[in-house]
Amino acid sequence: MKIPLRVTVNGVPREDLVEARTSLLTYLREQCDLTGAKRACEEGECGCCSVLLDGTQVTACLVFAIEAQGRHVTTVEGLSEPQLLNALQQAFAENGASQCGFCIPGMLMSATTLLERNGSPSEAEIRRAISGNLCRCTGYDRIVAAIGAAAAQRRNAKG
Amino acid sequence: MDDFTYHAPATVAEALALRAEGGGAARYLAGGSDLLLAMQRAEPPVARVIDLKGIAALREIRVAADGGVALGAAVTMAAIERHAHLLAHYPALVAAAAAVGGPPIRNRATVGGNVCNASPAADTSPVLLALGARAVIAGGGGERELPLAELWSGPGRLTLLDGELLTAVRLPALPPRTGCGFQRLTRAAMDIALVSAAAVCTLDRGDRITAAACALGAVAPTVLAVAGLGAALAGSRADAGTLARVEHLAAAAARPIDDHRASAAYRREMAGVMARRAMAEACDRARATSGGAA
Ligand SMILES: Cc1cc2nc3c(=O)[nH]c(=O)nc-3n(C[C@H](O)[C@H](O)[C@H](O)COP(=O)(O)OP(=O)(O)OC[C@H]3O[C@@H](n4cnc5c(N)ncnc54)[C@H](O)[C@@H]3O)c2cc1C
Ligand code: FES
Ligand code: FES
Repeated sequence: MKIPLRVTVNGVPREDLVEARTSLLTYLREQCDLTGAKRACEEGECGCCSVLLDGTQVTACLVFAIEAQGRHVTTVEGLSEPQLLNALQQAFAENGASQCGFCIPGMLMSATTLLERNGSPSEAEIRRAISGNLCRCTGYDRIVAAIGAAAAQRRNAKG
Repeated sequence: MDDFTYHAPATVAEALALRAEGGGAARYLAGGSDLLLAMQRAEPPVARVIDLKGIAALREIRVAADGGVALGAAVTMAAIERHAHLLAHYPALVAAAAAVGGPPIRNRATVGGNVCNASPAADTSPVLLALGARAVIAGGGGERELPLAELWSGPGRLTLLDGELLTAVRLPALPPRTGCGFQRLTRAAMDIALVSAAAVCTLDRGDRITAAACALGAVAPTVLAVAGLGAALAGSRADAGTLARVEHLAAAAARPIDDHRASAAYRREMAGVMARRAMAEACDRARATSGGAA
């Protein structure tokens, strides 16, 4: 049974018809053509499908699309203008934090959530913030370094 | 045609009515972090989910005048982690909530879902059991309350009557000089506990134990209270000898199985160790509380 869904995705209000069973991840990837949130385990384990629902990080594979009714969803595509990188993304690039890149959208959502709450996270706090994200390539160290660098840069920018 | 439906009631009464109408193919949905996986193999298939997150009363953490707490069933682990009163008085519950999955899971996973999923490894359950929590249940016949231990009948099985809904978990107020502890053994972040233990103890001014309880996770078909522990420790000093008795009693109470994650013998030994550490933590916190300071 298809149900009308009104949701704001990356600042753009949308109206779509979705099956009640459709996950938020499938909706974003297949109906919104936003493929930044990745489909991997579909069991909440890997964090690749992380998005923000009203500013709160969730694994979109474990959320029904219809749960986003009337709410705001932010995906990795919504973190910066098209073709541009925000400071956090830039820090990932500069620190060599991305190899295959598959986990990176999820890592960026975790890091964004962390830095909003904590402007000077310790290494342990950074590691805890990304504890729900699996990376099969980097060994995590460069990702941790990139997040630390982004936090430092933000503090310096604020003077 | 897919006739699966999603409902978001605003009240407990509406939720109960939707569940009754949906019969055995209907499920309550909280954070979905267990249900969405279980739905993939549910037989008969789930045809209706009733989302409890829109029911405001279920999302409340209410602190009573005596310091006891009613945790709404749909309160998330993230909300527990941030709650000042829980941090101050029930730090073991906060530690257990903080151990569940990673941050995005904790933003969704609820205490009611953790309890109602009835996994013997559920992290908040041993703490709630050791604290003497009670389940508040709504159903066709009105509201009833029962000790949490009576809610679980086996792995994934509850004593709830068909369609009944857990609305809250009630934590009793803690007497002065009471502390609680939680310990959990795993290999890495995001792993389910191999063994967990929670302990609560109350000390008199002479550091003698007046009340104590301990509960174990992942060593029996349900989360398990260590029977007779309170009586065995009453009047003892909170010292190394007493903690060794806790270790012994907990290991003896455990009824673990071998599986791919750990052997029964290892689990039994670790149940003792986790219980001892949890009780040591509880005693330290009991001494540190201001109530009735010596
Ligand atoms: C990646 C991952 C990691 C995890 N790690 C841990 C962990 O470390 N520790 C741990 O303990 N758990 C863990 N879990 C399991 C799960 O997150 C928890 O058990 C969680 O608390 C379940 O809550 P929920 O709100 O998501 O429940 P849901 O999935 O919504 O519901 C669970 C079950 O309870 C029923 N239910 C829910 N609420 C009620 C209610 N109020 N009344 C009656 N029935 C109800 C549902 O119908 C369903 O059968 C993990 C899960 C995932 C996906
Ligand atoms: S795809 Fe959602 S957590 Fe792995
Ligand atoms: S960069 Fe490949 S999975 Fe993380």
